[in-house]
Amino acid sequence: MGSNLRTYIARRLLLVIPTLIGVTLLIFAVTQLFDPVQRASLYIRDPKNLRAIDEVIRKYGLDQPFYIQYFSWLSQLLEGNLGWSQSLHMRVIDALVTRAPATIELAMYAAPLTIILGIRLGKLSAVKKDTWVDHFTRAFAIIGWSLPAFWLGIVLLAFFYGGLGIFSPGRLSPWAEALIRSGEFKVYTGLYTIDSILNLNAAVFLDALSHLVLPVTTLTIIDVALIMRIMRSSMLEQLGKTYIIAARARGLDEKTVVDKHATKNALIPVITISGLLTAGMLSGMVITETIFEFKGVGYFAAHAATQLDIPAVLGFALLTGIIFVIANLIVDLLYAYVDPRIRLG
Amino acid sequence: MNSMLDNAEKLRVKDLIVRFYTYEGIVKAVEKANLNLIKGETLGIVGETGSGKSVTALTIMALTPPPGKVEGGSILFQRATGEVVDILKLNEAVLLKIRGKEISMIFQEPNAALDPLYTVGDQIAEALLTHRRAEMLEAARELEAVESRGLWKILKNIPYFRERFKEKLLKKAAHKEIIELLRLMEIPDPERIINAYPHELSGGMQQRIVIAIALACSPAVLLADEPTTNLDVTVQAQILDLIRRLKERFKTSVIYITHDMGVIAELSDRVAVMYAGNVVEVAPTREIFKNPLHPYTKALLDSIPRPGSPFKSIPGIVPNLVNPPSGCRFHPRCSYVMDRCIEGTPPLIEVSKGHYVACFLHGGA
Repeated sequence: MGSNLRTYIARRLLLVIPTLIGVTLLIFAVTQLFDPVQRASLYIRDPKNLRAIDEVIRKYGLDQPFYIQYFSWLSQLLEGNLGWSQSLHMRVIDALVTRAPATIELAMYAAPLTIILGIRLGKLSAVKKDTWVDHFTRAFAIIGWSLPAFWLGIVLLAFFYGGLGIFSPGRLSPWAEALIRSGEFKVYTGLYTIDSILNLNAAVFLDALSHLVLPVTTLTIIDVALIMRIMRSSMLEQLGKTYIIAARARGLDEKTVVDKHATKNALIPVITISGLLTAGMLSGMVITETIFEFKGVGYFAAHAATQLDIPAVLGFALLTGIIFVIANLIVDLLYAYVDPRIRLG
Repeated sequence: MNSMLDNAEKLRVKDLIVRFYTYEGIVKAVEKANLNLIKGETLGIVGETGSGKSVTALTIMALTPPPGKVEGGSILFQRATGEVVDILKLNEAVLLKIRGKEISMIFQEPNAALDPLYTVGDQIAEALLTHRRAEMLEAARELEAVESRGLWKILKNIPYFRERFKEKLLKKAAHKEIIELLRLMEIPDPERIINAYPHELSGGMQQRIVIAIALACSPAVLLADEPTTNLDVTVQAQILDLIRRLKERFKTSVIYITHDMGVIAELSDRVAVMYAGNVVEVAPTREIFKNPLHPYTKALLDSIPRPGSPFKSIPGIVPNLVNPPSGCRFHPRCSYVMDRCIEGTPPLIEVSKGHYVACFLHGGA
């Protein structure tokens, strides 16, 4: 039995390789939508200097066949070189490394909160089907789901920051940023809530946390409906199954029937959507990051895209691709953990 | 009728009415059904799909599936203490003590009746640890001296691990009992099967597990809802044989639901025939086959395929129970139909000893 699981994991890990190759191919194919002149023009200061364009094209091999360009990009990639971002004036890899922590920190709080709340509400809604609890929960979720992030974000900002003067935008207050720049505060991860704990600095921790409140609330209110509705329908489906009647007929109390049997089975489809939700958050939340000046991956990806900064866009796309590949891997491994039919089948 | 049970009776369903509130209308699934179960007997309930057999069985456990509602009648049941209760009037706390302990149920699709995420051992243990906890704790206490070795000797003094240790002992005590049960179910290699997941077993094996769960606490009544319908014929025979032998061993009264007259003939002492939510005839099995009185019972017996004779089916279709036919619900399909069958519902009356029928051809004022 154990060897089946090992084979499953090995097979699943091996599958990552062709998937990643596919991802890089797809991402790089985007460059071919632009002709070499368009791609080179970003690096030219003087629009009349046509000779400079030719030079750039020749220097970077922009007129080479697709596969040669692809392999040279790939070999650079394997050395950790994602190119130069003209719009950010830094190497793409550095841009990613400096922007990622903001996004990761936001997702680190928003994703678990959304998932746990969604599961709880979905379960409650299903167990209390067609009562006012169910109607209220569903109405709340649908309203959240239909609110645009820019609207909800601005309303929350106007109320809390504008009205009450709390929860300011940005990742830290000016004094905390000054402290970090002074070098007295050591940055380990770039996730300020974690770094402040490692520095044993409660003031910075509370400051970082208070800056997270509004963006995390915005994301949670909007996305919780997604998890909730899947959980509700999945739970209702499970509650109608024969094994639930059988569990009741065995004399199990309602709590055991719901928590031990129905919920565990109902969670299986929720795992998939939770993985995708988390991956989606980790690969940047353009609108939320912009409204709350939470300068993460999404904020800069959008900026680079409007500047036609192709190396930066490729780098961000690659990061997103890798995040989704890893998220799917984790989802599949979780499946095997929860469901013996996959583990042993 | 009185609200008591006769000495020989274990269970009586009286004038049971169950209705389902659906968007298409109110489905009158069970309408004034009457049944009784004698201690130690096997009562067969026979009828087509939609005749209300399964709903009646589930209602006996007070597990009427939603959107069904019990709208009338009573289900008298003699508990192990001798006390007679109306199941429909009991609160949930008492019902939890009856379900799985005094009345158990086995199902048509064993695959669907087992939770795919837990081992079969876990699911049998649930029944044992719910209803026979005291006994299992006793057995666990005996194991304690043997199991208190190594690290556990120290750990069991810490409150958290004390609980873990108790769980472990309980599991071990249950394990022994489960292996014993699996042997009784004639399951080969029980030490391996106990750790198997439902999907790893064949349909016949799964059904044996479902039966093991049902019989884990020696219930007085076993409700069998077409337990062999979805199994291969050879496996069917084995399971029927097993049920018959286990019934003797556990001294259980059985209500066996089926649409298969062959199974009825083989297994049951008495038969109740249901049609469109009504019990139309009740009689000892020999009597039903020899002297069927209700036109529906006759038609049902005629429809058993026999070699050499043409296949006969009952004309017409099972009525829509949202708007059931007036009077006797069988009248649109009955070849003996009279005016009074359309106007009034015939009561179930005793025409000879132990033979009840609900038909105006055989009396009824």
